[in-house]
Amino acid sequence: MTIEVGGRLPEATFSKMGAEGPELVQLGDLTKGRKVVLFALPGAYTGPCSTIHVPSFVRTAADFRAKGIADIYCVAVNDPFVLKAWGESTGGTAAGITFLGDADGSFTRALGMDFTAPQIGLHGRSNRYAVVLDDGVIAAANVDKPGVCDISVGEALLAKL
Amino acid sequence: MTIGFGDRLPAATVLEMTEDGPKPVDLAERLKGRRVVIFGLPGAFTGICSTSHVPSFIRTRQGFADKGVDEVICLAVNDPFVMNAWGEATGATAAGIVMLADASGAFAKGIGMLFSIPERGLIDRSRRYALLAEDGVVKVWHPEPDRGCSISGGEALLEAI
Repeated sequence: MTIEVGGRLPEATFSKMGAEGPELVQLGDLTKGRKVVLFALPGAYTGPCSTIHVPSFVRTAADFRAKGIADIYCVAVNDPFVLKAWGESTGGTAAGITFLGDADGSFTRALGMDFTAPQIGLHGRSNRYAVVLDDGVIAAANVDKPGVCDISVGEALLAKL
Repeated sequence: MTIGFGDRLPAATVLEMTEDGPKPVDLAERLKGRRVVIFGLPGAFTGICSTSHVPSFIRTRQGFADKGVDEVICLAVNDPFVMNAWGEATGATAAGIVMLADASGAFAKGIGMLFSIPERGLIDRSRRYALLAEDGVVKVWHPEPDRGCSISGGEALLEAI
């Protein structure tokens, strides 16, 4: 499966930290009848994810909302406990970004975006991409090459809206 | 099959965060000729692990040193970036506890402690335990039988050695 404008993302069950603890949410329910942004990255607390990728969406969150984006989702192959802590420490949660855990990595694999780098302890993680979803259909997409954080940042996606 | 008293711990490569990034650690090599406490848990930033299990080893770190334990290691199936952040957030690193990442889950699998709770986003993690190893052989084995942290806590292990 490839990420291309006019296509859809695979159906997925994500873990999300709720008020009562972890809960499961369906991607279809999050995107139905709404315009949302979804960006994915290799992992909480890793270098460029914390210093570049998430901050780029923190900076642009208000601009996305001004352009009619209802929600911004950050997806990583992490559990909801780690993502909650990381969302708070990066300022992502405060900026209104919702962190979704692809805990078993099945969504990332179905999308063909998974990679493994055992020497740094990353198994079945996600390469970087950012998409705009309009009622679940990909309306804009920026997919980075593995190991790069360039066009999947907030500003570059915003420029496509 | 779960390990027990008198068993040699399985060979495994885990990861330690250093100033130069993640570095592989040959666990068998690290344990050779030394008295080492290892405690394992389901995951960084999860409830009982952060509020009970890790603090119990922070409280008892000096007690273990007084009893001739060379090193106290916390192991979880997380990546080294997350373990590093969690070690700082809990005060474990400052207390002299070494946070090692069993990123692939090979060690947890090797000792028969792998488990999953998909509805909480925890996939192929480690059950809770504490052990004392001498020259890589298990001398005290304290697997936690239920939820919570009692026999696998620092005080219970310290008392047993």
